[in-house]
Amino acid sequence: MKATWEKIEKNVGVLEVEVDEAQVASALDKAFKKVVARVSVPGFRKGKVPRQLFEKRFGVESLYQDAIDIILPEAYVQAVEEAGIEPVDRPEVDIEQFAKGQPLKFKAKVTVKPEVQLGEYKGIEVEAQDSEVTDEEVAEELNRQQQRHAELATKEEGAAEKGDIAVIDFEGFVDGEAFQGGKAEKYSLELGSGSFIPGFEEQVVGMEKGQEKEVNVTFPEDYHADELKGKAALFKVKLHDIKSKVLPELDDEFAKDVSEFDTLEEYKQDIKSRLSERKQESAKAALETAVVEKAAANAEVDIPQAMIETEVDQMLREFERRIRSQGMTLDLYYQFSGQNEDALKEQMRADAEKRVRNNLVLEAIAKAENIEASDADVDAELQKIADSMNRPVAEIRAAVEGGGNLEGLKQDVVIRKTVEFLTENSVAGSGAEAGKPKKPRATKAKEAKEDKE
Amino acid sequence: MKNPRDIIKRPIVTERTSDLMALKKYAFEVDMRANKTEIKQAIEQIFGVKVTNVNTMRMPAKPKRYGRYSGYTSEWKKAIVSLSADSKELEFFEPVTP
Repeated sequence: MKATWEKIEKNVGVLEVEVDEAQVASALDKAFKKVVARVSVPGFRKGKVPRQLFEKRFGVESLYQDAIDIILPEAYVQAVEEAGIEPVDRPEVDIEQFAKGQPLKFKAKVTVKPEVQLGEYKGIEVEAQDSEVTDEEVAEELNRQQQRHAELATKEEGAAEKGDIAVIDFEGFVDGEAFQGGKAEKYSLELGSGSFIPGFEEQVVGMEKGQEKEVNVTFPEDYHADELKGKAALFKVKLHDIKSKVLPELDDEFAKDVSEFDTLEEYKQDIKSRLSERKQESAKAALETAVVEKAAANAEVDIPQAMIETEVDQMLREFERRIRSQGMTLDLYYQFSGQNEDALKEQMRADAEKRVRNNLVLEAIAKAENIEASDADVDAELQKIADSMNRPVAEIRAAVEGGGNLEGLKQDVVIRKTVEFLTENSVAGSGAEAGKPKKPRATKAKEAKEDKE
Repeated sequence: MKNPRDIIKRPIVTERTSDLMALKKYAFEVDMRANKTEIKQAIEQIFGVKVTNVNTMRMPAKPKRYGRYSGYTSEWKKAIVSLSADSKELEFFEPVTP
């Protein structure tokens, strides 16, 4: 087994491989065993033809194709290992010599993973996002809670106002005739909610309890029922009741009702801390994305087309899985969106290139900085998965190892650590906070996972 | 019956006879009228080897029928020829089929 590697272009090279006779012979043996079961020679049962007779009758050459199929993948993998290259695409194989009793010689044209010329990646300047929570934001959140816990109180006097809930009977006529679905009794309509056709709610505003009124509206052009589109309609409306929303008082009582806290002050604190946590999380995510992107932009990579195509295919499959979970198929999607596969792929291409680039750069940085996944890291990762799935760690470990995914898992960990490393070494980032992440970013982990496939 | 190629009709190559070949025994279909001595001489002449022993047997005719016609296949003679230990291996020319 000899393999020589020669680069002919930036990311393309030729791998010249020579496999010795013994391996060729064993491949021929295997090929014979496979083929002999299928040939029938008079005087012999299937699979019982002696090798000698077989070769005399059909020629050794008839075994070559099968033998090549057997030996080539093996030899190729070995040669790749020997040459220490990382191919990213199927090789173009050219067989130069193959015969019984002679070494096999072949050339494989391979596209390899590009080398990354790392640019600046330490001390990348990024704008730290503000993760302070203002009082206004807390107030806003409180207001939302108030709205949600508002109670309805019947208004005995006065006119209906926007924001009130009017209980009405209505019957609609188009050209003097009642139409389907145009009639209801005791319907609770929130004025200003926009749930009825435009103009209707506004005209109900100002009505008093018990009052009857005729409401003139026009159906919008984009109304869903064809026969009503753009038609003018007359609604006879009777107002039964007006209910208005009463917001609860913001006091300790309210806090007790909506949360596990006893005082409003505590509740506010809780809201604040939750909001700030959320903000920090998103700030961290934004920071990481920015750092990775900048590092990628500073680096020089010549990405082979094949890698991008692979990534695009990957993305397409993912997309298909996603829409399938919503009960769609790709074909249906193409019909609805008026796109076809090529157009969709074209759209994805830019994104794919970015993902490939980011991953390559992250890998290169990990290599340059000797970032590796230690056993402890892997254990921690397994523990995390185990916790989230509520299974014992041993079981998860067995499943991951059995599926041969341990390498991929390590890769994930390495990528994540690299991202952490980048954020720690970024300038003007809120280093202290962002530097100690609690959770890996889901997207990063996912990207890394795709990368290994 | 002077021509040895009139005596030896064809080699018989089957699973069983190819096992016998390892013992330097070769099977042939021979002319019904040939005797062991003639067979021995014919083989020695054709292949240039030394024959140590010849066993012969008459293979029975078998009843066959084609539709309403019934008849028999021909009777024939089979000879198993043992060669001396130092003789070369015989090579038969097979019709090449795809």
